[in-house]
Amino acid sequence: MNSSRKPIVRLPMARWLAIMVGMLMIQSLLWLLCGWVAFYSAWLGGLIFVIPNAYFTHRVFKHQGARLAPYMVNELFKGEAIKFSLTAVMFAAVFLLIEPVHVLALLFTFAVMVVTGAVVPWLVKPQQQR
Amino acid sequence: MEIVFIAAAIILGSGALATGIGFALLGGKLLESTARQPELAPQLQTKTFIMAGLLDAVPMIGVGIAMYLIFVVAG
Repeated sequence: MNSSRKPIVRLPMARWLAIMVGMLMIQSLLWLLCGWVAFYSAWLGGLIFVIPNAYFTHRVFKHQGARLAPYMVNELFKGEAIKFSLTAVMFAAVFLLIEPVHVLALLFTFAVMVVTGAVVPWLVKPQQQR
Repeated sequence: MEIVFIAAAIILGSGALATGIGFALLGGKLLESTARQPELAPQLQTKTFIMAGLLDAVPMIGVGIAMYLIFVVAG
């Protein structure tokens, strides 16, 4: 589509990722007070949010511009479905494959990251290039 | 034990249904608004993305709790 053209909206991906990973590090270090298991469980909980969300962002901004709005909506739906499934699969993988897991640290960090992830695009908005 | 699976299924199903309805409305409004004012398409795309993040916050936490019920409580 318009992949060869200059993108209309420039995503501050590096800043978003820096804020998210910073938040994740702070929370993981706080959970370190409860032990090593809580530390890596909190880290995994944050990664379960960050990885599917980065994929969703990539898909949503694949197409830009008024002519490609139907493609963008299509990618929005597909991206959300894959994000939902990927989150469920990653949770299942953590609960099945990693032993022991501090469930409270995992779920609490995930919940805080979900709220942070919803707020961060309000604070650091994507910039238009024209 | 079966009640745990039923609870997880209800959580996942309601979350998916609510997200589906929300995204359908969001996508429909985006297409409608872009057709009305094509020059605002980049701004509308950004706003849609921000709203999408807010929209799926609660169902995502639901997914986590449902997986906990299935693989830890029942498992």
